[in-house]
Amino acid sequence: MTTLPPPTLQPTTNSAARAAAAHKVYGSGDSEVRALDGIDVAFEKGKFTAIMGPSGSGKSTLMHCIAGLDSLTSGSVFIGDTNLSSLNDKELTELRREKVGFVFQAFNLIPTLNAYENITLPLTLGKKKGDSAWIDRVIDTISLRDRLDHRPSELSGGQQQRVAIARALASQPDIIFADEPTGNLDSKTGSEVLTFMRRAVTDLGQTIVMVTHDAVAASYADRIVFLADGRVAGEMFSPTAQKVLDYLKRLGE
Amino acid sequence: MFRLAIKMTLARTGRLVLTSLAVILGTAFLSGTFVFRDTINQTFDRLFADVFRDVDAYVRSTTFLELDFGGEQRAATPVSVLDTVRGIEGVTSATGDIQAFARVIGKDGEPLGSEGNGPPTFGGIASADSAGLWSIETGRLPVGPNEVVLDTATADNGDFVVGDKVRVVAVRGAREFTLVGIASYGDISSPGGATFALFDQPTASEFLLQPGFVDAILVEGDDSVSDEVLAQRINEALPADLRLETLTGAEITAEVQGQIKDVLNIFSTFLIVFSYIALGIGSFVIYNVFSITAAQRQRENALLRAIGASRRQVSRALLFESSAMGIVGSVIGFGIGILLSQLLNALLKATGFEVPTQGLAIAPNSFINTLVAGVLVTVSAAWFPARRAGRVPPLAALRDTALDTAGSISRRVIIGMVLVVAGGAGMVAAMNDAPIQILGLGVLGVFSGILVLGPAIARPIALSIGLPVAKLRGASGVMARQNAARNPKRTSRTAAPVLLGVALVTAFTALAASIRSEIRDTFGDAFSGDIALTVDSQGFGGIPLTITDQISALDGVAQATGVGFTSVRLIDPNEPASATQAGASQRGVFVQTINPSTIVGLFDLGVTEGDLTTLGRDGIFVDADRAQSKGWDIGSRLQIIRVDGVVVDAEVRGFVSGDTSFANYVASRDMFADAPSPIFDAFVYIKVAEGAVFDDVRDRIAAISSDAGIGTLQTKDEFIDDQAAQINQVLALIYGLLVLSIIIAIVGIVITLLLSVFERRREIGLLRAVGMTKSQVRTTVRWESVITSLLGAVSGVVLGIVMGIVVVAALSDEGDITFRLPVNATLWIVFISFVLGVVAAVYPAWRATKVNIVEAISAV
Repeated sequence: MTTLPPPTLQPTTNSAARAAAAHKVYGSGDSEVRALDGIDVAFEKGKFTAIMGPSGSGKSTLMHCIAGLDSLTSGSVFIGDTNLSSLNDKELTELRREKVGFVFQAFNLIPTLNAYENITLPLTLGKKKGDSAWIDRVIDTISLRDRLDHRPSELSGGQQQRVAIARALASQPDIIFADEPTGNLDSKTGSEVLTFMRRAVTDLGQTIVMVTHDAVAASYADRIVFLADGRVAGEMFSPTAQKVLDYLKRLGE
Repeated sequence: MFRLAIKMTLARTGRLVLTSLAVILGTAFLSGTFVFRDTINQTFDRLFADVFRDVDAYVRSTTFLELDFGGEQRAATPVSVLDTVRGIEGVTSATGDIQAFARVIGKDGEPLGSEGNGPPTFGGIASADSAGLWSIETGRLPVGPNEVVLDTATADNGDFVVGDKVRVVAVRGAREFTLVGIASYGDISSPGGATFALFDQPTASEFLLQPGFVDAILVEGDDSVSDEVLAQRINEALPADLRLETLTGAEITAEVQGQIKDVLNIFSTFLIVFSYIALGIGSFVIYNVFSITAAQRQRENALLRAIGASRRQVSRALLFESSAMGIVGSVIGFGIGILLSQLLNALLKATGFEVPTQGLAIAPNSFINTLVAGVLVTVSAAWFPARRAGRVPPLAALRDTALDTAGSISRRVIIGMVLVVAGGAGMVAAMNDAPIQILGLGVLGVFSGILVLGPAIARPIALSIGLPVAKLRGASGVMARQNAARNPKRTSRTAAPVLLGVALVTAFTALAASIRSEIRDTFGDAFSGDIALTVDSQGFGGIPLTITDQISALDGVAQATGVGFTSVRLIDPNEPASATQAGASQRGVFVQTINPSTIVGLFDLGVTEGDLTTLGRDGIFVDADRAQSKGWDIGSRLQIIRVDGVVVDAEVRGFVSGDTSFANYVASRDMFADAPSPIFDAFVYIKVAEGAVFDDVRDRIAAISSDAGIGTLQTKDEFIDDQAAQINQVLALIYGLLVLSIIIAIVGIVITLLLSVFERRREIGLLRAVGMTKSQVRTTVRWESVITSLLGAVSGVVLGIVMGIVVVAALSDEGDITFRLPVNATLWIVFISFVLGVVAAVYPAWRATKVNIVEAISAV
């Protein structure tokens, strides 16, 4: 393996979320697995960041821990200036509801709620009305106004992911985490969804962190953070699909 | 495949136990009643074997009447027979036995033992002869007219010691005795919580029965000959005209054991029927569980099909699992049932029936019955889901979630509606004088129709009930409402036990309320007195006629009359002999005994024809309907055979309407004046004289009745309410059924919710990820549970009210019972269902909050 230059991390002052000395260990003794092995990373506000890495590199674990879905073995994570390790379950839940948005690979929507109810779910859960002008704008952006009263089972896969993105945007969170959002979609629908994510950052000023192993998907981002064996292996700015593939090839050698 | 089925079953032991819960519950009730019955039977078997240990022969009258509920009333035996028996070769001793009504009055003036529903209160003979059933523990045997002996338990309860004065009430009135000893019966202090007051034979005969008579004679032999030979000798020596018979000790022991079993069997049969109903309602839960798990394992089954398992193999694997569940559930249920039987015992003890149990009787039959019933119910409930599982297309392996296949809704609606309409038609036909069985079939039709319709109507009803929840509880409420409506089949099956229980209770409560008000009206019109003295003696003992006469003679009492009951045998000489001699010839009928000279103007028996004062010694009034069906008219002759065998040649002298008379036949108490087994009054109706102070008169009557330690004094209103309240005893049974279905419903809701939570854990994980708090998760589960429970309650109430209206209309002749809606009871039922929903949700809701978010959303 060729020696990589030490990662140059963004300054923490302008970050929407960051992790410091993040460790996550599963099991103990011989069966010990170090999913995160001392990760320092920050995600800049108003930027679209992709996290890449091979299977088992810890990218999903990192996302779950930064998003407050899982806890670290040691180290700390921050959303804005809030240290997540200081929060109890209720405070974490409220933080996720108000400051964080999620888009998952599949099963993003509640089957019993229609598209509009799914979009406003985090607001309803927090008994908030939300900014209706903003929600209107989000709905226009995903071009699904005529499907708002449809149940998820009546929407296509691409439409479902667009609704999921709209839900993530609806509460104007500080940061949105997307876990392989195009993993279950064909390439055309996938690129539609990625275009919406890109526009959410460029036009609506949102912050998105996306976990992916697809070079094309990653090329929509402003910056890529590469993980390997639970550590930050490198990063890349203004990526293209070709540059990413070349880099991954080098990483794999 | 068989090995795979075993592995698949064992891999899910947790779920196996969970889903076995319904089986456990049903079989526990069943085995509990089996063990309880066997234990009590065994106890009494041993007790009587011990009590009759020294009795080698038993002499009694051959004249007897069979009473309702398996009892019998036998004519008395003259004391003179004692000397005859004692003179027979081989007889060591002979002693009289009496079991008659007597009540011991406590030191506080209150009678010991409960009146009415409690265990009986007896008077009897304590004798020095070794054939006697009692043995003295402390003190000595009673001698002469002023001495008494009590059983150990009664002496303890009443705080009596030898030397105390004890008041006892019996047929001859109330008397005071000196307690000279304390006795035990066999090796126990008191059988079944009954109280005993024992006297020497002449005192007992005179005070409890009729001078010169005993109920039977106990004989001990010198063992020189067998019991059979001894009995034979005695039989031959007895004067034929006395109509007596001699049983061996073994025969009388077996007969008494059998009698107590008959009485207990009524009780335990009732419990066993209840248990089978419980198991039946539980089968809904079992069916539901299998349907859900089969749907959840659709992918697994489809995979098996895809790699080459046949339909039949898939179905068989599921049936194997259900058999395992049936066996495991029944075995655990049997164990819990043994505990339940102890609980039943404790419950009986708490209500005054102390049953002295000597060890548990666990018959192999009980275990086999429980196992067979449990496995049968489980496997048949699993039959359809298993077949459905076999029909899963292999392609379903690729599909995502468990789908509740809706089936053909229109077919369901059609079949359901046909059943409801046919059932309704049957019920309407019953309103127009069709036989009552049609009504039963109609009710059954409506019930099954509703259950078939259930899945079709569950969704709209659940959505309507959930509307306020969605409005009030925000996002959680919306989700709860949708969840309750998303699997209409599952929801309707979960709600079915609630529906069944609530519908039955509502219908019966409505019926009872209607009958109650009817009784109240009728008695209000019939009774023109001011005070009633009543005793709820259940056909054993009552108010001695001397007390009634004392009250009549009181200063300030304008009029008082007693009404009682006795049993006689009735023979219609015009009926063909074969009909009267067939089997039931010993069967007794109830006769209401009155005092014709005092009843008129005080209590209206509903005389439609004739004059009560013409009754005399040999007149009888008959219920008009009964007379019509028998073809009797005024002047018809009937033979009445009293308990003592005396035949009265009676004449029909009038008719009663039957609304306020308690029996189909009315006779004067004069007809029984010379009978050795005396009659009692059950009610004494009293009118206060004009100008007398009500409270003073009441106090004077109370003085007599409390002196006698008998009866309850009631004002007219209290008496009427009390009569109307008798219907409550029936209601209590129905409420027992409700409690049972509630317990099963709770288990059903818990299991369904747990399975739903398991099935929706990805959804719950997602909700938690996007910001649902744990308390909101709990709220969602809780309200889904409440909506499901209320769905059952609301449909049940509607169904119950409709059935109540129809049944009331069917039962009332020319509409003299009007339907009354039991508003309070209905509100209570709905409230209880609400609480039930909340309680059932506690554990599943907690489990829902334990869903690991990361695992849930990562699962593919």
